[in-house]
Amino acid sequence: MPGVVDVPTLQELNVVEVNVSSAVLKAAAHHYGSQCDKANKEFMLCRWEEKDPRKCLKEGSKVNECAVNFFRQIKGNCAESFTEYWTCLDYSNLAELRHCRKEQKEFDNCVLEKLGWERPELGDLSKVTKVATSRPLPENPYLSRPRPEPNTPIEAELQPSKHGSRMFFWNW
Amino acid sequence: MSVLMVKQDMPPTGGYGPVDYRRNLPRRGLSGYSMFGVGVGLMVFGYWRLFRWNRERRRLHIEELEARISLLPLLQAEHDRRTLRMLRENLEEEAVIMKDVGEKMFHTDRWVSPITEELFNLRPREETLRKKFGFLRYV
Repeated sequence: MPGVVDVPTLQELNVVEVNVSSAVLKAAAHHYGSQCDKANKEFMLCRWEEKDPRKCLKEGSKVNECAVNFFRQIKGNCAESFTEYWTCLDYSNLAELRHCRKEQKEFDNCVLEKLGWERPELGDLSKVTKVATSRPLPENPYLSRPRPEPNTPIEAELQPSKHGSRMFFWNW
Repeated sequence: MSVLMVKQDMPPTGGYGPVDYRRNLPRRGLSGYSMFGVGVGLMVFGYWRLFRWNRERRRLHIEELEARISLLPLLQAEHDRRTLRMLRENLEEEAVIMKDVGEKMFHTDRWVSPITEELFNLRPREETLRKKFGFLRYV
């Protein structure tokens, strides 16, 4: 049963995709979190405020651009150490970071020398941040109907009800 | 028979030496209290090591969770695009298939996340099954 929903065209959805596997992403995750922080936070803010993926396609494409640039920079500068790092991670089933400390240190040193990026400390990426954006806050993201008016205050004098409380069988 | 000098197993001249036959149950080893203390001490040491390792494990877990946190926007954006793409394809196909019917599923304008069945409506059933049951934490 088709619903009449405004879905954007395939043209608008065409964005340069990051063609990278999961171990690669996890290997670069900490640096990605500190480098592409702005675009990521704007996209998440938009998504959570508007509650509608169709409205956040622009920010989403910016996220992709930032990610693609990030990986291009790594590939340009630190390709070998990065490859070793993510192949080491890929070796285990869960891609645990603690098994590959040596390669991680090499990769960090290489990136620090060539690009000046520092690995964020433990707990930095989970801090709550404030995001400055030019997008206005949506007034009614849930598109709820206007709330009904409250009842008018009762004018007359209130008396206890005749014949008791009228709840079930009590007559007091 | 007369006394002949036959080689026999006889005691040594002068007799045997003295034999110590007294009881020998020496009091040795730790007392009960100190054995208890050693046991308690070992346990405390074990607990200390355990708490330290648990703290280390917590730090490692936080690190892995942070890796996931930093990757979330990318994954969310990709997921959104995929959903919208599938809805678009569904819409176009359905426009071809059902030309007369057109009604709203919900009485509101807000975005409702599509369910798996709706997205994979016109694809082979195994894709739906793979999406629903493909990722299992147990084996």
